Amino acid sequence: MGVAVPAAALVLWQICSRLGLISPRYFPAPTTVAWALADRLLAGDLAGDLLVTLTRLACAFALAAVPAVPLGLLMGMARPVRELVEPYLAFIFPVPKITLLPFLLIILGVGEPAFVLTGASSAFFQIVISTLAGVQTMDPRLVEVGRNYGAHGPRLFWKVILPAALPAIFTGLRLGLGLALVTLVAVEFIAAKSGLGHLVYRHWQMLSTPEMYAAFALVGALGLVLTRGLRALQARVLTWQEENIGV
Amino acid sequence: MKKATGRWLAEHWITIASPIALLALWEWASATGLRAAFFPRPTTIAVHLRDLARDGVLWAHLATTLVRIGWSFSLAAILGVAIGLAMGLWRRLREGLDPVFAVIYPIPSVLFLPLVSFLVPPGEIALIVTTAVTSFFLIAFTTTHGVRQIDRLIVEAGRHYGAKGWRLFATVLLPGALPHIFTGLRLGLGFALIVVVAVEIVSASEGLGALLWLSWQVLKVEDMYATFFVIALLGALLSYGLAALRARLLPWVPDVADR
Repeated sequence: MGVAVPAAALVLWQICSRLGLISPRYFPAPTTVAWALADRLLAGDLAGDLLVTLTRLACAFALAAVPAVPLGLLMGMARPVRELVEPYLAFIFPVPKITLLPFLLIILGVGEPAFVLTGASSAFFQIVISTLAGVQTMDPRLVEVGRNYGAHGPRLFWKVILPAALPAIFTGLRLGLGLALVTLVAVEFIAAKSGLGHLVYRHWQMLSTPEMYAAFALVGALGLVLTRGLRALQARVLTWQEENIGV
Repeated sequence: MKKATGRWLAEHWITIASPIALLALWEWASATGLRAAFFPRPTTIAVHLRDLARDGVLWAHLATTLVRIGWSFSLAAILGVAIGLAMGLWRRLREGLDPVFAVIYPIPSVLFLPLVSFLVPPGEIALIVTTAVTSFFLIAFTTTHGVRQIDRLIVEAGRHYGAKGWRLFATVLLPGALPHIFTGLRLGLGFALIVVVAVEIVSASEGLGALLWLSWQVLKVEDMYATFFVIALLGALLSYGLAALRARLLPWVPDVADR
């Protein structure tokens, strides 16, 4: 059943497109798309754009995660820090991060730093909020027990607080990576001249639909691998966490 | 009452003082040395915001965006809840659609714009349908999950008391899934705002996203900040307003997304 429905849909699409029931110009047959995908991959330009997107994603994710996790932990443990940062978090978090792009474009100029930072910003806020929630929702008894057994300061942090918050941190990282990918591809679609997002845009403008669908499928596959892969990794690495790992 | 306010202030003064301090610092820095071309003074931005509001430009763009969000969200909510419920109730449908959803869901919604513009008339309708895509998946996912997490025991009990078919659905399954459905709707509305702004940046000449992008293209920096402020306000209003509404309508359950 899990394979049957997508397979049936593809076969139906193939037949309709071949028979001209739907315009093959706008909806080329899946085999045509597959050929375009293979062709472009072999020619190397699709792999090049994939690499560009992946590099941007890695930079954006690192730029977001490295400051976000410590900030979230600090906010969870020190109230003044939380009170200081919270209004900005509350103000920026619901904003579509793509709106930061024009600001970064005027400040940094049109180029990679502006693209990557826009992607990073969408991951950053998610990771801070998940990490903060991880510290805030931990069972206070855990800290009490740790204290009673003589854990203080750094020891308490490394042995009790961090392990307890780790599942939430990992969920934040996973969601953050997904958000960074979504924002980056949108940025590429809108402003960049390379990457998978731009590829979809360019082939849309040129109406070379098989290539457009090929790039589209590659973005879907990338998203699927990242989300599913990290979910599996999370279940394997953090075996002590409870089952709920977030929507 | 006054005492309670006083205590709240004493505890949370940092939360209020820090944005004010930042704005003051910004104002001072822009007035003295910071590049005002990039960081116009907050008071200048406020003046521009007032001008935009006064000659009606802002309201027209805001109204366009709100109408689009309204249509997209309604479309996503109706289809999402209906298909989500159906997927929660029928295993075969769920197993068939799950892999399709899993592939489509992580694709950024802006990318659907070309695809949608082949399917429906380009322009306003394509814009609305594209905006609805991500919200639809979110709402369908959470609704399915909402039906699935209902305690088997409760369903069994309902059956034993003679509830079947429609009755079982309306009195046991729907109320049981409602908290999840509401969470899905809340997240869906948030995403509708995010996507509509992105789609407006790409392809529209009206709406807040378009206003922001056009202001950038002609380098009206003050208008950019003013528009950003309005979008942020709208986002805060949608997400916190709906959270408050949820707390009032479904007080018996904690928010699923808060866990």
